Amino acid sequence: MVDKIKIENLSCYYNKKCVLDSLDLNVVENEILGVIGPANSGKTTFLRTINRMNDFDVTYSRKGNVYLDGDDIFDIDAENLRRRVGTLFAMPIPLPMSIYDNITYAPKRLGLVAKKSDLDGMVERVLKYASLWDEVKDRLDASAMKMSGGQQQRLCIARVLAINPEVILFDEPCSGLDPISTAKVEELMIELKEKYTIVLVTNNVKQASRVSDRTAFFLMGKLIEVDKTGKLFVSPKEKETEDYITGRFG
Amino acid sequence: MIKLSPKLSQKFSYALLCFAAILAIAPVLLIVFMIIKNGASAISWEFLSSMPKDGMRGGGILPAILGTLSIVLCAITVTLPVGVCAAIYLNEYAKDNMLTRIIKLAIVNLAGVPSVVYGLFGFGIFVMFLKLGVSIIAGALTLSIMELPVIITTARSALNSVPYSFREASLSLGVSRWQTIRHVVLPSAIPGILTGAILSIARISGETAPILFTAAAFYVPHLPYSIFDQVMALPYHLYIISTQIPNMPKNVIYGTAFVLLMMVLTMSCVAIFARVYFRKRRKW
Amino acid sequence: MRKTLDFIVEKIIFICGIASIIFVVLIFSFLFKEGLSFFKDFGVLNFIGGRFWYPSSDPASFGILPLIVGSVFVTIGACAIAVPIGIMTALFISEIVPKGIRDILKSLVELMAAIPSVVVGFVGMITLVSLVKNIFNLPTGLTAFSGSIMLAFMAVPTIVTISEDAIRSVPWQYKQGALALGATKWQTIRRIVLKAAMPGIIAAVMLGIGRVIGETMAVMMITGNAAHIPHSIFEPVRTMTAAIAAEMGETVRGGMHYKSLFAIGLVLFLITFLINFIADLFLGKSKNT
Repeated sequence: MVDKIKIENLSCYYNKKCVLDSLDLNVVENEILGVIGPANSGKTTFLRTINRMNDFDVTYSRKGNVYLDGDDIFDIDAENLRRRVGTLFAMPIPLPMSIYDNITYAPKRLGLVAKKSDLDGMVERVLKYASLWDEVKDRLDASAMKMSGGQQQRLCIARVLAINPEVILFDEPCSGLDPISTAKVEELMIELKEKYTIVLVTNNVKQASRVSDRTAFFLMGKLIEVDKTGKLFVSPKEKETEDYITGRFG
Repeated sequence: MIKLSPKLSQKFSYALLCFAAILAIAPVLLIVFMIIKNGASAISWEFLSSMPKDGMRGGGILPAILGTLSIVLCAITVTLPVGVCAAIYLNEYAKDNMLTRIIKLAIVNLAGVPSVVYGLFGFGIFVMFLKLGVSIIAGALTLSIMELPVIITTARSALNSVPYSFREASLSLGVSRWQTIRHVVLPSAIPGILTGAILSIARISGETAPILFTAAAFYVPHLPYSIFDQVMALPYHLYIISTQIPNMPKNVIYGTAFVLLMMVLTMSCVAIFARVYFRKRRKW
Repeated sequence: MRKTLDFIVEKIIFICGIASIIFVVLIFSFLFKEGLSFFKDFGVLNFIGGRFWYPSSDPASFGILPLIVGSVFVTIGACAIAVPIGIMTALFISEIVPKGIRDILKSLVELMAAIPSVVVGFVGMITLVSLVKNIFNLPTGLTAFSGSIMLAFMAVPTIVTISEDAIRSVPWQYKQGALALGATKWQTIRRIVLKAAMPGIIAAVMLGIGRVIGETMAVMMITGNAAHIPHSIFEPVRTMTAAIAAEMGETVRGGMHYKSLFAIGLVLFLITFLINFIADLFLGKSKNT
């Protein structure tokens, strides 16, 4: 069990208002760590800190350290960090270009793939991985904006896989999807953990119980408890956790 | 005074507002109608393609048409990249600080400076100080500074209409800020930017005061062949033949006005239609 | 490599970003430099307060009072016509007509702004000037009054577009509330909408004034260009802008007359700076409410 990400005493603020309070947490390599909690408990801030997307927010500030493979993420180059830590947003955001270009966009910009033939192969590989290939192989030139929501989300997964990340952050990836699409995405996540380390932030307690190996419960910017998913859902240590997972609030 | 019932007062006021609106748009219809009615008949291939003759009273207006086109094209080539970059700075990079506020104030004021003051300034700096002489390039640079605030404003609103989520998606893949702008934001904003550029071209084609002392000549016996040439320009030509030359045949003046008006209106209409078209086709 | 490119591009973008500041400063300092050496020789008070503009007689006199009065006459006249028409048209377009007609009317109003001012001036010369001459039985139709009418129509698009924006950004709840209390639509417009949109309308009027003061070609073609202090609006006048445009060609470069035109440019620059600054404040205010 190797720690892929290690978070030490992390506190985050927007306009000096604390939204994440002295967080200590680790993410183990090749696991799915589920993060649950009601709205405004700091889950999304947590993700946006790990991939440093909050760098662009001038109202944001933070204290504490986050390590990726032992390197302080605030010391390494932000763009390189974001390539290593891929993100899936709550709403699928295809870029306004074709399906093919959506996938090749980042590898081209980052100079990851040199030859055109390599690009074709790569597109096929990631689309197959995201189980989207059969649906779109005949219309790779079509606009990605015209796909269904579920297809768009799988396209976004394929797009993340194309930059060959080490960690993938899922930010409520199924909140806009129907049950069938949701099942597909969940299946995919379980496949993905063979190769990647996954953090899954979700509002959906059942989803966390279905796919995550360990689950962390956040409340009002504090980590209440983190444990093996089976244990946390069967015998939570804290009263708040029990109340939340049994649906007494949230 | 008789107090009208609310209903009656409403009817009366509506009629008044309607009358005001008619007054506001009547002149434009009148002007366009007059110029087309009297000017269209003066247009012939010879009028568009030959040099003026008999002290402007006959012949054509080719050098004026070419002069205006060259000044305007030069001006937009200078002002478009600078304006778009400035818009990118304001929309994508600028933080909410003192510098940004000063830039915005400068843009507002640049937009309000009278066109003749631009002419004065252009004469002082480009013609005299930089020794470019009265030339296409001096006039074009003057116009390009004058048009800068318009380009910045339209380009900025085009950039601003690109959803923020596109930027997030690109950045989250590890793509740098500039690359994101270059490959995601700009392509989506291009239609809006181009529409603004066409409107700007239309506007500066009709400007006279800024080129009065920087580029325009009363009469040049040859067509423009270098950017350091003094040139004839349509709006200036129209000004001269309608005020300075006695016994000027009216149909030549109308013909010149017709060409200038059509140039400006065609471009404006193209821009307006392009805007509607792209708005309908927009994918987000 | 990629990083260096990004760095260079971002520096260029920053320079373009501050270009507007550079140009404003450059324009001001150029006008100021020439103007200052003029003021040293002629005196600011003699310039602003002088009643005679005889730039080429000997001794020359550079009092711009006639030009200021000319500009003021034309501007006041134009505003008296353009402000009511502009605001009423904006109300008509945004509150009364259905959407289809609204777009057509707006396009027509904007079309007016697109017509080059020489063309407006030319049409004014052949229609308005003789009309004014005959109706008021004047020796010439080239008067401040004709200029006012012409400029009014050139300022109307500015006033309509900006006040229409302001009127339309009035929250619909305001109107809903008034209508629910039994007010007629017109009462709502007059008491509620007009009041809520007032900052934006004031900004529109300011910008319209700025447009009128700065207008050059049409004014030069129509107002008769006589540089004396007029007794009434039915006399020919010369505005500040027209003086620059008409006289620049005749001056000796670097001479007193030449410099005096830059001084006029400086005055115009400062006036429009002030007007736009105030308009911007009102526009900011109208966005906040």
